[in-house]
Amino acid sequence: MRRVSLWRKQAWAFRSLRLATFSTSKVTIFDRQLKRTQRDRAAWLTPSHDPLLHTVSQNLVDRLQDCNKTFPTALCLGGSLQPITRSLSAPHANGGVEKLFVMDASYDMVQACKNAYHASNHRAVETHFLVADEEFLPIKESSVDLVVSCLGLHWTNDLPGAMIQSRLALKPDGLFLAAILGGETLKELRIACTLAQMEREGGISPRVSPLAQACVRDAGNLLTRAGFTLPGVDVDEYIVKYESALELIEHLRAMGEINALSQMNSILKRDTALATAAIYDSMFSAEDGTIPATFQVIYMTGWREHSSQQKAKRRGSATVSFNDIQKQFGSQS
Amino acid sequence: MVRVSKEVLQNAAKTLSDILVCPLSKQPLRYCEESSSLISDAIGVSFPIKNGIPCLVPRDGKILEEEDASKSDNDTNLSAVNEENQERSV
Repeated sequence: MRRVSLWRKQAWAFRSLRLATFSTSKVTIFDRQLKRTQRDRAAWLTPSHDPLLHTVSQNLVDRLQDCNKTFPTALCLGGSLQPITRSLSAPHANGGVEKLFVMDASYDMVQACKNAYHASNHRAVETHFLVADEEFLPIKESSVDLVVSCLGLHWTNDLPGAMIQSRLALKPDGLFLAAILGGETLKELRIACTLAQMEREGGISPRVSPLAQACVRDAGNLLTRAGFTLPGVDVDEYIVKYESALELIEHLRAMGEINALSQMNSILKRDTALATAAIYDSMFSAEDGTIPATFQVIYMTGWREHSSQQKAKRRGSATVSFNDIQKQFGSQS
Repeated sequence: MVRVSKEVLQNAAKTLSDILVCPLSKQPLRYCEESSSLISDAIGVSFPIKNGIPCLVPRDGKILEEEDASKSDNDTNLSAVNEENQERSV
């Protein structure tokens, strides 16, 4: 009996590890392992004050100011970790975070964040670090008040699954805050890449990751599907100017936002790369010689269900007719 | 000096283990001081703690040998695994 049970246990462990390694959802779009490596590299390359990441995380944390509620325990999912931890643990920061869990799939990224934390002077917020995958969230059910994800979730293969897991990790009336890159991001680069490949190689292969082609409605649907109540979505576009396409690629690499498609063509010819830069320059360059790149950021807010939250009444549960209301108010005026 | 930092590390690990669960089975984890790793008894996998940072990515997990797993084998875990097996197969 014991032997059998052990065997089954081992078999399940093998199966679940294999599942976890190769395919979790039916479709594997992104190579998560490659993304981890890229983020390891990004941990060494990211400057401590990247203006784009700083703006996005500041915008995200500003949303906490609108809530008249404090969030003693917070979980910070992968993405741009350092700016978000900095703004959450700054003195008199929004949200009233007392205990912060910082999580990322890349060990180097977490270590860099930890070093920055130990080097900083204000350590009022108790911060813990862990390495984990957003698709396999190792957090106990209803244990945190706030889940923040700043520019990380767009690399997950199973975005609804990751969001459902975040919802389960939240306490009732807990807040989920996320910023992801939307489909308009890097549209200039996408066009330039396609044109250059057509011209030099006679065909195209995806060079730029397909990001959530989400408009506001789709992101709202995502939130509802994951079971969040009171969903809120808004979209912001940032245009960053670079000296040339090469600087743009350097910046993407430093942010760890380089292509990580599982089916991408891993060979990029020098010819094509240079042609892309040239096309980018000739099609999109501004008068002052810089080239613009669009970053579309979708901000999502959702709450875990709680009885204190307002919600629509059940259909057909009204006891007063609209005609009566009209009569009532009509007679007053 | 060394002892103090070790205690700090252990405290941190303890606070973390209050909210951490196994990423695959969502069952509680057990802290093993001997190998300084977090062990998921439900599926018999150990996750390393590197430099005070627990690594809970499924890929980092190591499947435990039978002797290790049998130490902590009990009926509740077994039933949990069976339930999950059924869930997975449905």
